[in-house]
Amino acid sequence: MTDLIERELSLPGTPAQLWPALTDPEWLRSWLADDVALELRPGGEARFRFGDELREGWVEEVTPPAPGSRPGTTGRLCFWWQAADDSASRVSLELVADRDGTTLRVVEARPLAVLDLVGLPMPGDAAGGVRYGPALIAA
Amino acid sequence: MSAAGDRDPAGAVFEALADPMRRRLLQTISTSPSTATELAGELPISRQAVAKHLTALSQAGLLQRERSGRDVRYHVTPAPLSQAVSWMADVGGQWDERLSRLAALGDRHRERPRH
Repeated sequence: MTDLIERELSLPGTPAQLWPALTDPEWLRSWLADDVALELRPGGEARFRFGDELREGWVEEVTPPAPGSRPGTTGRLCFWWQAADDSASRVSLELVADRDGTTLRVVEARPLAVLDLVGLPMPGDAAGGVRYGPALIAA
Repeated sequence: MSAAGDRDPAGAVFEALADPMRRRLLQTISTSPSTATELAGELPISRQAVAKHLTALSQAGLLQRERSGRDVRYHVTPAPLSQAVSWMADVGGQWDERLSRLAALGDRHRERPRH
């Protein structure tokens, strides 16, 4: 069973102009979490702080958008995070150019049953880890 | 086997959770079981509006009523579904907050570009 949250937000600008909002620690601190450290490569470390709560995880996908505002132009950042006593979930942040600007699509999913059994797939064997996530999502 | 007139439980759940105020109510009640009056004191809506939301959440099977003296206290239904539901309410609420901060930044960005 997969628990899933989806949200969309329209933003002014092109995906390339908005990419720093998803990747620049300074931007991220102003909206995502109180502290953010992201290693921007597949398998890279991801750390987040919300007040006293720490979440750790890893980066699954970093696909910067092409420049320009051609509709459909897409950039995507996916990572996994997990608080100490909670199950892991996967966050996908996608910027897609549309006629008026850009839509940010957020999907957070928790593939409950399987993940609770096997724990957070770690990037240790990077290729395995990276394949692992999407396979679980589809499960 | 299901009696005629049974509602699709998952449909009722998602309908009940489509409203941000109901998600907030559910989140509050999951932290501590509450009465409608207590909830109205904590949230920016009337007791009447709270009661209406509580009815919708109860009908979706998300809340249980327990009478204590003259009060009715609401609990989150202790079932596997309610775990998924409270996760969704919790995580959904967090993203609502994050995205409203980002939207505010976007507005500022538009008025005074950084680059």
